[in-house]
Amino acid sequence: MPETNTSINTSRTRRVRKPKKSQIPQAILVTLFMIAFGFYLGAGNSKLPVYWGFGIAFGYILQRSRFCFTAAFRDPCITGSTSVTRAVLVAVAVASVGFFAIKLSPVLAGSETNLNMSGVSPIGLPLMLGAILFGIGMVIAGGCASGTLMRVGEGFTMQMLSLVFFVAGSLWGAHDMNFWSKFNENAPKIFLPDVFGWFGAILVQGLIIILLYIAAVKWQEKKMGSAE
Amino acid sequence: MAEFTLDCLGEACPVPLMKTEKKLNELTVGDVLIISIDHSCAMKNVPEWARKQGHNVEIEEVDDGEWEIVIEKTK
Repeated sequence: MPETNTSINTSRTRRVRKPKKSQIPQAILVTLFMIAFGFYLGAGNSKLPVYWGFGIAFGYILQRSRFCFTAAFRDPCITGSTSVTRAVLVAVAVASVGFFAIKLSPVLAGSETNLNMSGVSPIGLPLMLGAILFGIGMVIAGGCASGTLMRVGEGFTMQMLSLVFFVAGSLWGAHDMNFWSKFNENAPKIFLPDVFGWFGAILVQGLIIILLYIAAVKWQEKKMGSAE
Repeated sequence: MAEFTLDCLGEACPVPLMKTEKKLNELTVGDVLIISIDHSCAMKNVPEWARKQGHNVEIEEVDDGEWEIVIEKTK
């Protein structure tokens, strides 16, 4: 997208920008703390430092890229822009390949621990209800779960309030999980490779993502006149 | 050419965008709208939307985590 080169003339005297203080000392301190905490976690459990590292990387990328799952579903409705939606579709496509590899490797190795159904949740009433509530909630709160956490880190005070209720809601949900599980007893659990076979599954998934991507481009062309 | 300001400090996405959209409709061509925001998400989607509409856009970081988006209505 081309930046506008012509400066816009404004009569108002712009607020003089505060000279920026160097944040390098704090950055070094935080980095040292992160490494030290990683070692501390590693002393108790060998998996925790990995989670720690992935968490930091995830947060950094989210913040820098302004990646927003809320915007992906909201912007097509309010402005017609689908650029974030397409970014999420690309992310899902990349993640699909990774998940495919993770799930297939124990099968190929003939391992007894089959990962197939781990992480596959039943499609039932609680899912539908939860999805609708989450959709309403994330637009009002201005961020999904990861977005809220990322913006609390940035120092956006309103979303600290979101975080409090996000934690409260999660705990409440966990507390009532037995009740919700009752609705899931007869709900189907679908794992695509069981239905289409391993390579059929990745093909079907890829095809759906490509179709959604094309739909997103068409949607933006219709709403905004350009798919840029 | 008139100048307008819009204070969106403390407003989460998508509120700044909706307000900008509304306010820009009231302006006439050549007017300038200055929007103050402090939500990083709005810093991305407001300029993106305005550029796609064909307006001239400038972003200025006035303080840490605080931006001013200057939009000149061109049509």
